[in-house]
Amino acid sequence: MSPDDWILDIQNLFIDYRTKRGNLHAVHDASLRIRPGESVAVIGESGCGKTTLAASIVKMLPLNADIRSGSITYKPRKGKSVSIHSSSEQTMRTLRWSEIVMMFQASQSSFNPVTKIYTQFLDTARAHRMKLTSQQVLKRSRELLELVYLNGDAVLNSYPHELSGGMKQRTLIALSLLLDPQLIILDEPTTALDLITQKRILLLLNSLRKSHNFSMIFITHDLGIVTQLADRVVTMYAGAVVEDSPSSEFFADPKHPYSVGLLRAIPKLNAAFEHLYSIPGSTPDLVRRIDGCLFSPRCEHSHDRCLREVPQLRSVGGHRLAACHLYEEVTV
Amino acid sequence: MQKDMLVFAAKKLMKVVFTVWVVTTLIFFLIRLMPSNPIERYIQNLVVQYGMTYEEASSRASSLFALDLEASLFVQYIDYLSSAVRLDFGTSFLSPGVQVTQIIAARLPWTLFTVGMGLVLSFIIGIVLGALAAYRRESWYEPLISGTSSFLSAVPDFLIAIFLILLFGVFTWGGRGSIIPIFQLRGTYGPGVTPGWNAPFIRSVIGHGFVPILTYFFSQIGIWVLLMKGSTSGCLNSDYAQIARARGLRPAKILKSYIGRNAMLPIATEFAMRLGFIIGGSLIIEQLFVYQGLGLELLNATSNRDYPLMQAIFLVMTIAIVLSNLFAELLYGVLDPRIRHGGGKQDG
Repeated sequence: MSPDDWILDIQNLFIDYRTKRGNLHAVHDASLRIRPGESVAVIGESGCGKTTLAASIVKMLPLNADIRSGSITYKPRKGKSVSIHSSSEQTMRTLRWSEIVMMFQASQSSFNPVTKIYTQFLDTARAHRMKLTSQQVLKRSRELLELVYLNGDAVLNSYPHELSGGMKQRTLIALSLLLDPQLIILDEPTTALDLITQKRILLLLNSLRKSHNFSMIFITHDLGIVTQLADRVVTMYAGAVVEDSPSSEFFADPKHPYSVGLLRAIPKLNAAFEHLYSIPGSTPDLVRRIDGCLFSPRCEHSHDRCLREVPQLRSVGGHRLAACHLYEEVTV
Repeated sequence: MQKDMLVFAAKKLMKVVFTVWVVTTLIFFLIRLMPSNPIERYIQNLVVQYGMTYEEASSRASSLFALDLEASLFVQYIDYLSSAVRLDFGTSFLSPGVQVTQIIAARLPWTLFTVGMGLVLSFIIGIVLGALAAYRRESWYEPLISGTSSFLSAVPDFLIAIFLILLFGVFTWGGRGSIIPIFQLRGTYGPGVTPGWNAPFIRSVIGHGFVPILTYFFSQIGIWVLLMKGSTSGCLNSDYAQIARARGLRPAKILKSYIGRNAMLPIATEFAMRLGFIIGGSLIIEQLFVYQGLGLELLNATSNRDYPLMQAIFLVMTIAIVLSNLFAELLYGVLDPRIRHGGGKQDG
């Protein structure tokens, strides 16, 4: 895989929410590129624009959100590139799930509670005019369910409430593979599950990613997941991408001061509870944005330039990008 | 499995029978606690007008009404229960010699027709408008639908009836008279027609029933719209609706099978329960339109202390409500698999 080969390219994206106080700049100059077969983790505090960014990829933003500027381009396996930011709802509908799967948070209730699971597999196949009979769709569904270690027949003939949380999650993963998508986006895929089930689901996803050859973006607060699953880590702060690094390098040597703070905030087994670190200050106001670097009020390295000028995302060696005026000073 | 179902059905049936018995008993004693006794009044009348002795008068009354007036309340109660089981409710006090069942059979269809039509029409149109108001939250007509519905649901039904009588029967429009002749706003059908499957009769029935049906329609539609709107809004924001959209399903499909189907769950139950109130929910409206349905009959029976008729009408109402509740319970089980199976998680 060459670094120039990509399936999704987000360039300088700005997304605003219309609120009573004025426009809230949820995503502010975010750029991101996803390569084939790659697994990318998006991390950052609550409200930093991770979910908004993900929802914009399938254009399922809330009604009060607008894409102000920037571009989202998607390259299917076959055919021409699609400019998602300017696509119609009709185009997006055919793209959703067949090319890009978006799994929203709280997948505990992702299935229609009043119909059996097989109906929901068939609905999905029919919506995309799959050239298969119902019997063939069900056969494929059974195979996919068995791939995620479930009893295909039993699950297909169950109602959602008859399945446990972990089973529902795995069923949704099986359903997501039905149309052979190229990109799967997961928003906090495992928050509702217990630790053991979480781990099993993640290992499963990783092995499926290799066997079925899809790329994966997953949003998480859990840095433990990131180490196990991600090839690359994207850190977001206040709507912007502030660091984009290969996973191993990110954990060994984070570049952006905010990334450093995040890693220091991971509780250590051998440290006392009182020594738990947290980044000083709180998340900035996204309606009335200050000039300069938004992280500067919380940054121990902040200086004059940070208050005047917004740092741009630029290469800091190797395949690493960071948006900081003094990234070279940052060490763990 | 088969046995479970039988036990379930038997339990439910026992509950129905028990409820009906309790209500019947209450009605029997409550009615007798009411002041002024019609038979006493009849006897007094005979004594005063014909100079009979009290004994003569009371034996005459007793034979006329087939009642043992000497019997204790308890014996009367046992008597009443045993004949009620055989569907024999005795004869009316007010029109001696006429079977109570006959009167009910003659009145019930009219009430079922008008209240039932009003309920069904308001339900169908109400849920469509309610779903529309929820689905098109941003449209210009959403406040119109919701506002009108809130208004209508707050106005008492008799005010709607009076307004409609004025609108259709009293106001004259540019010298052309009222929309519906005022005499058509009384009774169930006109005097000149013979009941049966003939055009003049059917036309007359519709003409007389139209405004009462409209009254029931307007008095209930607001509730249906608001209920359906609330229920649909809840389902619109649900995770399964969002995932359905992410799965690329067509909007029409999502609205019908995912949102509509789930939003209907509480509404369908409400509808089934309201079916039971068809019979009882028409007293004032039938009086306003002098519409000879069961409600008007109950009103007459009550003001004249016609015990057998009152008891029978109350019993019919009770049975209707109890059965509709049972129906609602069963319907919910059919519509919602989570209730049918009663849990039963498998291990993950």
